[in-house]
Amino acid sequence: MTDDSAALWVNGSVARLQGMPDDERLLDTLRWRLGLKGTKEGCRTGDCGACTVLVDGKSTLSCLTLTREVEGGSVTTIDGASDDPELKRVSAAFTAAEALQCGYCTPGFVVALAGLLKERGRSAPVEELMDGLQGNLCRCTGYAAIARAVALAREDAP
Amino acid sequence: MPPFELVTPATVDEAIASLRAIAGSGPAVIAGGTDLLLDIDDGRTAPGRVVSLRRLPWRTLDWTDGALTVGSTLPLRSLEDDPDLPRRLPGLWQSVHAVGSVALRHRATLGGNLGRAAPASDLIPMLLALDAEVDLVGPDGSRRLSVDAFIRSSRRTTLAPGELIRSVRVPESRPSAFLWQRVRPANDISQIAVAVAFSPTRPGWSIAVGGMPPRPVLLTDVARRLGHGRPSEELLRDACDRASREVGLASDQRASEEYRRRLVGTLLGRAVRAVVASGEVPS
Repeated sequence: MTDDSAALWVNGSVARLQGMPDDERLLDTLRWRLGLKGTKEGCRTGDCGACTVLVDGKSTLSCLTLTREVEGGSVTTIDGASDDPELKRVSAAFTAAEALQCGYCTPGFVVALAGLLKERGRSAPVEELMDGLQGNLCRCTGYAAIARAVALAREDAP
Repeated sequence: MPPFELVTPATVDEAIASLRAIAGSGPAVIAGGTDLLLDIDDGRTAPGRVVSLRRLPWRTLDWTDGALTVGSTLPLRSLEDDPDLPRRLPGLWQSVHAVGSVALRHRATLGGNLGRAAPASDLIPMLLALDAEVDLVGPDGSRRLSVDAFIRSSRRTTLAPGELIRSVRVPESRPSAFLWQRVRPANDISQIAVAVAFSPTRPGWSIAVGGMPPRPVLLTDVARRLGHGRPSEELLRDACDRASREVGLASDQRASEEYRRRLVGTLLGRAVRAVVASGEVPS
């Protein structure tokens, strides 16, 4: 059943989703319907975290989420980093720490860390933040630089 | 991915009715969807209709007289964040924390985990060791049964057609522990998981083992041998050896039978010692 009234807030703007099939994943809505290619498709099985976005401020695997299930909600992706203070800070920390090699996993890491900082605050123990990033994989294995970015993102002014 | 129709009932009655409206293999129920959508992608299930529970008022958590009641659609992350859970039911907190990743737990639910009845569920062994019960609601009214009676085998439950899991109830706070072994800490499936709890009222131990087909199991005889309080090292070693020998295990792509047997004994010993270390088990 398609419902032409479906709508979603994406990076602060309303996205109307006319004719969207019920089985469409949030990842596909973002990348193919809305053209927001910052969010990456990795495994499509919830293992790698590359597709992580924020739904109502909480990190969410967009490959395992039906768009209709978050209808009316507010989605923030890496494409909205310039308008979201926490995403902006974390992106700057990743840049400063040179915490990327091929960069494919980076949007997922940045969004997941921004979500953790929103949830737990910047004073959250670094161990808790690192534990909270266990769901994100970097196939280049550049974890040491990512850990430095986490430490930087906890500081007040990156 | 085969297309399906998603319906989002606003009331429990509507939800039950929309589940009954389709015959045959029946519609699927979606809470968080983190497990169901994988099965749909892999073609293991192809429901024509998916009934969403997101508008039902079941994202609840309540402590009354020491008993914990968790609404079936409460995200696991919200359960994990309950300020009383780590102190009152440490093993349950550990098992929730073991599921997937933060992003997955923002959507996955306790009801979904029970309803999907995965053989390697991390939550089911802990719920078994805590003597948890499920409250069901369906076309013929409500009923309550133990998690042990609810889970039948791999991916099979005793849910009747049109029935839904409304909530899960843990009857009392218990010193408890949940330990697992797997390749990756997050987003992986346990090769073996051991859940241990001590009931202060019975008094006595409960042990459950998960991570292998067809379903997580209670080791009632082994638990009884641990006695009614802190076991001696000798008793504990004997219990670990028995658990290792007696639990039904097999080899699969995740671990060999021999490795699993060693894990059961090792993890059980560590889990019992962790519960004793809480200081809440009488001598």
